[in-house]
Amino acid sequence: MRVRQRRSGWSSLVLCSAEHLEYEACLKIFIRKDRKRCKFMPSAIACFKWVVDEAYIRRGPSGDLDFSSVDFKIGEYDRNAIEEAVRLKETLGWKAVTVTAGLPEAAKGVKDALSRGADEAYFIADSSFGNLDSSQTALILAEVIRARIREYDLIICGEGSSDFYAQQVGPRLAVKLGIPCISFIEKFLIENSQLIAERRVEEGVEVITAPLPALVTVLPDINVPRIPGVRDTLMAGKKPTVKISKDELPPIGEPPLRTISFKASKMERSCERFGTDTAEIARFVGSLRKKGVIG
Amino acid sequence: MAGVWIVSDNRGHALELLNIGRQLAAKMGTCVSALLYKERKEIEDYINYGADEVMLLPSLSGEQSLESYVPVISEEARKGDPDLILFAATPRGKNMAALIAEELNAGLVSSCMAIDFNYGNKTLVMDRLAYGGAAVQKVTCSARPAMATIPPRTYETTMREMGRQGHVRELPPPSPSPIKVIERKVKEREAKDLSEARVVVCVGRGMEKKEDLTVARELAEVLGGAIGCTRPIAEEFHWLSEELCIGLSGVQVKPDLYLGVGVSGQVQHLTGIRSTKVIAAVNKDENAPIFKAADFGIIGDIYDVMPKLISELKK
Repeated sequence: MRVRQRRSGWSSLVLCSAEHLEYEACLKIFIRKDRKRCKFMPSAIACFKWVVDEAYIRRGPSGDLDFSSVDFKIGEYDRNAIEEAVRLKETLGWKAVTVTAGLPEAAKGVKDALSRGADEAYFIADSSFGNLDSSQTALILAEVIRARIREYDLIICGEGSSDFYAQQVGPRLAVKLGIPCISFIEKFLIENSQLIAERRVEEGVEVITAPLPALVTVLPDINVPRIPGVRDTLMAGKKPTVKISKDELPPIGEPPLRTISFKASKMERSCERFGTDTAEIARFVGSLRKKGVIG
Repeated sequence: MAGVWIVSDNRGHALELLNIGRQLAAKMGTCVSALLYKERKEIEDYINYGADEVMLLPSLSGEQSLESYVPVISEEARKGDPDLILFAATPRGKNMAALIAEELNAGLVSSCMAIDFNYGNKTLVMDRLAYGGAAVQKVTCSARPAMATIPPRTYETTMREMGRQGHVRELPPPSPSPIKVIERKVKEREAKDLSEARVVVCVGRGMEKKEDLTVARELAEVLGGAIGCTRPIAEEFHWLSEELCIGLSGVQVKPDLYLGVGVSGQVQHLTGIRSTKVIAAVNKDENAPIFKAADFGIIGDIYDVMPKLISELKK
């Protein structure tokens, strides 16, 4: 698209370049127009998931999970992704876009993401999107990014969703889009259209460079996500949200994994309690010694 | 015959994966192949520890990242059609597993803590944690190959069997990748000590100021242990390095004794200590969730209890 516009720009340039001076003036105007028309503002896409707040999950009588009093939230780690996109907006003048796929109820999350400073949101909603596999989520996001958002420089994902924490959507999305993926980064900067990132590996840190567009997954310590104020929430309502339905996408197929069951995880511990006087402290230390865990 | 493949760039993790890989392969009636990065001298070792075949990956140049192997491994998996591929759930292991799973259109079970083969319907059944550790999710994988990442130290290392026989096969070198490693920094010793420590003293939000860490450090020293912390201590207050954060998205420790001082016990944190032998805690809030997850709990002010513990332990 960009190329075609530039070509028509050049042909009009040739028409108006009878004299050299005029040519230069024309060129300047052309470049200015060209920038406006063709050179899109760089943009960062932050992906997020609207998830069950695990703090409200109760253990049912038979070890099942009781979701009756749960609330929902933008995944903890995804807030770091949104914050980084907004940081690029504030420091480099980029556009911050958010995208999510989920149940229609996730509309609340879309508004929350916008109140955290994003400029616009893409929201793919369907009542069947409650338990998507990472591969399906990546497919949906890739389709929307490729066909609808089109222009982007950096995609930012959290290190994992705070419900299933499979940590796969980021890398899978990068493969689908055919862009480099750098996972678990704790710091990055953009220099000469190139990404320079520090990622955590087992032995320490690796400093990586990659051409843009690229995808990164960020560690929670990369930033402290802002808490939106009343004004931010009011502004969020005015920002554009592009809603996309399942019918506008190719079929997402069957998930490769099947969940057989969810059970409340057991932490069977003796839960013995102690006081703080000298005798109790001695009893406490004695108990540790009896267990053989201290010398 | 397709087999169980194991992938790790670290010898220790690879030996753990060989253990579980070998057990599963025996049940599935297949063999074990191990991918080995660069270290030719470890071929015999891998075979003695259970590999029937070693696929040797050529060395990388200094600026190539480990992920450069992704296309090579994916291609080999397309040709070899393995039943199961196991990765060590290290940061790069998790990343590579997800990239390869996508290349192969396969299902991947992340941070799998138990894996078994069901003879009845010939499927693999895997357990993993969900909802910050509040739930155990049991999954099966219908697509081929099944893939899983397994956190280091989930399984022990097998016994070595000297003189086992195995094949060795060399895989082609990776092509250049747009991702370049321009620097490698090795992490400080402290973080390494934490994941290997037999006793861990963990500092939580109940600590009021950075200077008070001295008391916690003294307690750790008396116990012969290492110090760790909850997320806010590193992330919000920056009192300790992020590498010392214990929890789902941090270090998972497996010590004999964990002692939480001023730790409330959020589920994400508890996930990082669930394999601990004995969990103990000190907190003044008797309703703190840590007490439900602890074997021994002292309900009291950490500033009162820590010095008392130190003097009692010194006796």
